[in-house]
Amino acid sequence: MAERVFHKSILRNEDPQILAGKAQYLDDIEIPGMLYAAFKRSDYAHARLKSIDVSEARALPGVIGVYTAEDFGDLVKPGPLQVPPPTAIKGATYASRTIMPIVKDKVRYSGEPVAVVIAESRYIAEDACDLIYPDFEPLDAVIDLEKALQPGAPLVHEDLPSNEAAHVIQERGNYAEAAAKADVIIKKKIYVDRVAAAALENRGIVINWDEKAQMMTIWCGTQSPITLRNATATRMGLFENQVRVITPFTGGGFGPKINTSMPDDVLLTELAVRLNRPIKWYEDRRENFLATTSERDQVHYAEIAVTKEGKILGFKDTFYHNSGAYDSYMMTVPLNTQTHTVSNYNIPNFYTEITMVFTNEMVVTPVRGAGRPQGVFVMERMIDAAARELKMDVAEIRRINLIQPNAYPVSTGIIGQDFVEGVLDSGDYPTALAKVMAMIDYKKFREEIQPKARAAGKHLGIGICTFTEGTGVGPYEGAKITVGGNGKVSVATGVATQGQAHYTSFAQIAAEQLGVEVKDVKVITGDTGAFAWGAGTFASRGATVAGTAIHLAAVKVKDKALKLASKILETPESELELVGGYVQVADIPGKKISLGELASMANPMRGTFPPGAEPGLEAVAYYGPPYGATGAGCMAMILDVDAETMKPKIERLVIVHDCGIPINPMVVEGQVHGGIQMGIGNAFFEKVFYDETGQLLTASFMDYLFPQATDMPPKIEMGHTEIPSPLNPLGIKGVGEAGAIPTPAVFTQALEDALYDTGVEIMESNLSPSKVYTYVQKAKGA
Amino acid sequence: MKLEGEHVFNGPREDVWEMFYDPAILASAVPGMDKLDVVAENVYEGVMNVRIGPVSGKFQGKLTLTDVVEPENLTLTVDGKGAPGYGKGVGKVNFTQNPDGTTTLKYDGDMNIGGALASVGQRMIDSVAKSMIRSAFETLDKALEARLAAKKTGTEVNFTPPTQTEFAAGVAKDMVGGFTKVPELRLILYILPVVTILVILALVLGK
Repeated sequence: MAERVFHKSILRNEDPQILAGKAQYLDDIEIPGMLYAAFKRSDYAHARLKSIDVSEARALPGVIGVYTAEDFGDLVKPGPLQVPPPTAIKGATYASRTIMPIVKDKVRYSGEPVAVVIAESRYIAEDACDLIYPDFEPLDAVIDLEKALQPGAPLVHEDLPSNEAAHVIQERGNYAEAAAKADVIIKKKIYVDRVAAAALENRGIVINWDEKAQMMTIWCGTQSPITLRNATATRMGLFENQVRVITPFTGGGFGPKINTSMPDDVLLTELAVRLNRPIKWYEDRRENFLATTSERDQVHYAEIAVTKEGKILGFKDTFYHNSGAYDSYMMTVPLNTQTHTVSNYNIPNFYTEITMVFTNEMVVTPVRGAGRPQGVFVMERMIDAAARELKMDVAEIRRINLIQPNAYPVSTGIIGQDFVEGVLDSGDYPTALAKVMAMIDYKKFREEIQPKARAAGKHLGIGICTFTEGTGVGPYEGAKITVGGNGKVSVATGVATQGQAHYTSFAQIAAEQLGVEVKDVKVITGDTGAFAWGAGTFASRGATVAGTAIHLAAVKVKDKALKLASKILETPESELELVGGYVQVADIPGKKISLGELASMANPMRGTFPPGAEPGLEAVAYYGPPYGATGAGCMAMILDVDAETMKPKIERLVIVHDCGIPINPMVVEGQVHGGIQMGIGNAFFEKVFYDETGQLLTASFMDYLFPQATDMPPKIEMGHTEIPSPLNPLGIKGVGEAGAIPTPAVFTQALEDALYDTGVEIMESNLSPSKVYTYVQKAKGA
Repeated sequence: MKLEGEHVFNGPREDVWEMFYDPAILASAVPGMDKLDVVAENVYEGVMNVRIGPVSGKFQGKLTLTDVVEPENLTLTVDGKGAPGYGKGVGKVNFTQNPDGTTTLKYDGDMNIGGALASVGQRMIDSVAKSMIRSAFETLDKALEARLAAKKTGTEVNFTPPTQTEFAAGVAKDMVGGFTKVPELRLILYILPVVTILVILALVLGK
């Protein structure tokens, strides 16, 4: 029997190359004759562009061209929707106003491009931007979500009657009836603010139009290479096979790199053909903050209806979601909020209402978590408010409301981002909660540690929250697996990689079936020249959806190999096994044939080829789930807060997590670690701040505070509950966003508990020491 | 950004008012102001060099005085833009004659800032603005003194505005002043010399 490589912590295939500095990132790509682009961006968030003077910029030596809207003709129109509208939801209304490639007459967010410069160097291009003089007529900006909807508010899109971008109501059961039966109803207003994905590597693109070959090659760290290829071909009137998108090694995606038909790819592909020269553009960090999408700001009015024993009868959540200036990504984020608000609790009556709002801010699209952290934050904060009111233990009130392990599959009655009713496929939430309580010594903390600390004047608080993570949604992904004449295995899939270890975990899936070494499997992701079907890397779906497609393709290749080997070795297939790169007869050592030989024999260069046969050892397979696989978990945290400076220190952080069967547990842990770091940032450090005129005041890491190593807990203590998903043969669920989802809720809860003597209640994420101080002063009535 | 405060000038209200109406004096009082030309009654245009943290560049600006009630009050509207962004502000300035012969100037304004100035420089805008205002009043104090002296003796006004370098030094001084207000840093400033002396003493005594 072959050694198993699936469900095993194997060192990453890609690391030797990355760690030795030999990996090709976008900026490593240099092509002779290359030109460089820079964008002149609007300083105003909302303004009419009356005229623009580019004559001085054009005259600067080294400038090849300066282009404004009038130079792009028909290209200057709203781009395609990135995500379809939620027509599956009854009564949903929406106005689609997609992103413009360049400002023609009206600026809608600060940082929107008004001109693009192409020059011999980036330095010259940026200097030229300073010589472009747009004449703006400033307009009042729309920033506050609720004020934006008041009559008379300035309109982001003047052809619409208001700034309402979409409206969706979903309900299961009947909240009003539940509320009538409840002993206690608690109402709160809750804010979640905006964060940047802040990937290590910014966005960028390199385009090479080869006129003689009539081929366009685009290198781009996109999460959606196939969409980029198809949109480019459609827009430019090219055949799809004339455009090849290659994703090189990429330093983090986290959501915003999913967007295509952005100003950069639309304008620069056009200019590369027009100038017949390669073009490179790379964001600087300020541009990334200004003009790459970000996420999370919502205002919730939540209501929880409970019995005096703490049983939750109903939950009502009416919220405003900031869409930014355009809504090309439609409703993925707020729909995720709806599906993640009550998902792991057994709450029969749930009313949820979204009003999506246009504002003069950068466009909102998913950032790791993508609406889920907001839903969890709102639910968990409300449960804490109920526990406070009922004088119940925060862990106990959660325990008695969790969905039980025998309940699956659980239909949620709420339609999600994949436009089907959410179904919780599998899980065991009570076990996760019990495990976390045991790991963090919850009882001992409450009964001994905390009272002692409080007696000593210390402010030590604990938080404990549960969450789900809807992952691995459709529509589908595919994969092609080919065994080479040397026995090495190539895997190609459409999803792109931004650091998720796909080169290893995907290789493990294929190697497990084909009985080869993991290092003998070469995985190609995100190269449309290698595989051009699929939707992209989002919603923690790479491992689940593309991984399953790889598994299915590997099984097909295995079957082909067995069939052919059976003939050659004159042994029934059932007696054959794939081990160490060979197909061998299980009981007879030495009676074997290598995969490479089989592949060569299946690819004859002379002679005849039977009808219906397929050459080589190769197979393509596709997989699309009926609905997403739902991961889940429970997190607890102990915070030590300095009650004078309000500086928190995370003493312990425990997470128990279920992503089904982990392909590579080490990679899973890495994903959870990274998510937690982002979650800690969302809870206390990071905040994308727009002032009332729409100016972004946090466009550098000097002002946008990222948590540092010293802000992290000394150790992340992790446990797993491996409940296989019945939706796919490997039993896997996604994990990419898990760590980011519960952290702000747990952190805030622990913070309140630490500051118990102030009576403070914090219904807001993205905190800071001064903000907490203000809350405490307010609680004290100061 | 809200800007408000007051300053007492050591002179009668009419002289302070008159000084305010002299573009050369106003230009000299604003650090980084290259020139300030009168383009119409109560309308000035100028060029100003601004440096706030990592953001620097030239600003084209227009200064308009409205609601002018001599010598009591006026409204200042500033509208400037350049490569580093834009600034637009409206401020009310009020002059009160005090019984002791001095004049109190009160200002109350609102400033909107955009572009790189806001997105990268906002952390420093507040302190730089305060520095600029303080420095402007210092300059105006001296200018007033020179004007009053000249008026008394009937001679030419003898006044040299401060240079850019002097202004930069002023900002630096303010920043250090800010640092010494942080208790931990102040502690370091005090403790370091003490420790040094102790170490030296120990070495000397050890011999």
